Amino acid sequence: MAQTLIEQHGLFGCVQCGRCVAGCPISIRTALNTRKLIYQSLLESKKRVQSPDIWCCTTCKTCSDRCPKGVEIMEYIVALRRYQVERGKIEPTARNALESILKHGNPWERAREKRTEWITDDLDVRILEEGESTDVLLFVGCTPAYDPEAQKSARALAKLLNKAGVDFAILGTAESCCGNEVERMGEEGLFEMLVEENTELFSKYKFNRIVTISPHCYNTFKNEYTALDFEIIHYTQLLQELIESGALKFDGKIGENVIFHDPCFLGKQNAVFDPPRFVLQSALENELLEFDRNRERSQCCEGGGGRMWIEVESDIERTAEERVKDAEYFGAEIIATSCPFCMLTLSDAVKTTGLEDKLRVIDISEILIIDY
Amino acid sequence: MNSIVCIKRVPETAEATLKIASDNRRLEEENLVFAINEADNYALEQALLLQEEFGGDITIVSVGPEKTDEIIRMALAKGATSAIRITPTDMAELDPFAVASLIANEVEDLDYDIIFTGCVASDDGFSQVGVTLAEILGIEHISMTIEMEAGEDGATVNRELEGGLMAKYDVKYPAVVTIQTGINEPRYASILGIKRASSKEIRVVDSVDIGGKRVNLEKIYFPPPGKMAEIIEGGPDAVAEKTCEILKSKGLL
Repeated sequence: MAQTLIEQHGLFGCVQCGRCVAGCPISIRTALNTRKLIYQSLLESKKRVQSPDIWCCTTCKTCSDRCPKGVEIMEYIVALRRYQVERGKIEPTARNALESILKHGNPWERAREKRTEWITDDLDVRILEEGESTDVLLFVGCTPAYDPEAQKSARALAKLLNKAGVDFAILGTAESCCGNEVERMGEEGLFEMLVEENTELFSKYKFNRIVTISPHCYNTFKNEYTALDFEIIHYTQLLQELIESGALKFDGKIGENVIFHDPCFLGKQNAVFDPPRFVLQSALENELLEFDRNRERSQCCEGGGGRMWIEVESDIERTAEERVKDAEYFGAEIIATSCPFCMLTLSDAVKTTGLEDKLRVIDISEILIIDY
Repeated sequence: MNSIVCIKRVPETAEATLKIASDNRRLEEENLVFAINEADNYALEQALLLQEEFGGDITIVSVGPEKTDEIIRMALAKGATSAIRITPTDMAELDPFAVASLIANEVEDLDYDIIFTGCVASDDGFSQVGVTLAEILGIEHISMTIEMEAGEDGATVNRELEGGLMAKYDVKYPAVVTIQTGINEPRYASILGIKRASSKEIRVVDSVDIGGKRVNLEKIYFPPPGKMAEIIEGGPDAVAEKTCEILKSKGLL
């Protein structure tokens, strides 16, 4: 007999210790209470729990990581979402994002033909044609390709790669959404379709490795695309390599106090903690500042799990607002991050908390080109 | 309660760079993305809500090329029962009367209470198929519906008028109801749902001739910019800066 969701995700192992709720970044400001959700699911194991609260989850995965009994809590929430997606009754904003991915290959309801508009005249960015080869395939990702703020990080990275003499290229308008958020929003069928189409797309080009700007693309290519036979790295890992080989040199002249915010999908979900720190430190005069909650304990910015398209009402401040206040408390003038979603949520938070005169949120690539 | 929903496949033009085909009567379709006409999507949702409340069948009818099946399958995935696709020999010859006649031919013998259409198609903007269809079938119609309370034999509907006015009507079935966007919140059609719906029947009425066309499309074209219009070009920063300059120079900022 097929396993139930409760069996599949090990819910019978739950001892109701509450570590999941304690670690959940949004339990304090939303109705989602993972321990209660599991308890309810076990009590009503004959029927499927249909709580709207599951849409509050950012899929940061702190709950699953901290569970002493190995219960796959975040994965269970995604599985519950799948049933709601199947019934079609989801938040209109999430619906629009998913429909946009199907139609245009990006969640931002933007035309495919505009996917390369981030490339300004001062950049040397090659668009790979079918059958052509390159060393590094830069996977730009939907948000750096379309969002005016996030585009800056794509431009900065292209400048750095130009400067380091890296043989790189992009797929241009052929590039499509990676599907990381699609999977987490519970749109299983669309995710499978994207995996199939992207795997097929990559096979038409020759390259040695893929470098992603977003940790979300990195995560899904690395862990969820099973048929890729090339190396997948995050851009901070490539920059570390370029600095270590001497292809890129920074003279440590940036005098501002910089603090690093670990993106969940880079840090706690993929254990890439040191490359962003190494890269940043090479350009800074002062020692890189750290949040008290850093590395695997880093606080989620609420940008993951489809939450870029799902607003959650709450009287309590956003985690990103708490985060930028923390940054100010630790004496930072710049919050550095290496994820387009973190960049956008934290930038908004700087504005809503009135810290615009004191703090800026900048992607690592952009910080590195400050002195260029 | 049985309903029929007329849907149309239209290009999404908000973001696209449009090119007019050499015959000056069509758009180049190569780089265009097609989807269900927005108002028709709301019409479909209204039928699905009634189906949830009263039960019954939903038949989708669409006049269009073979690719129309993509949007028909989405409607079937959302819960429609069956579908009819009408593909005339020469699509370019269609006008609203011709479309309504083709639909009327296929639906007149069906058992239905309500025929839903969107209030307007986003591509040609005629707003005529629904009401023309009602006239051909000889049944009542209510256009521009923004609220609807359906009963077993008839419905109370609100139409939105200019100046913030609403007009309330009672209508007995069978009737054609044309739906405005915003009346409900259309559901999502999942990919697995669309795949599953491939077993539902789409009856194809192929190679039909268009009888009784009433208007002729002469040409489509981009209107020349007016004398007072200034098109601001460049990136978001440049556009914002220039816009601010203009507003300031006019004393508006």
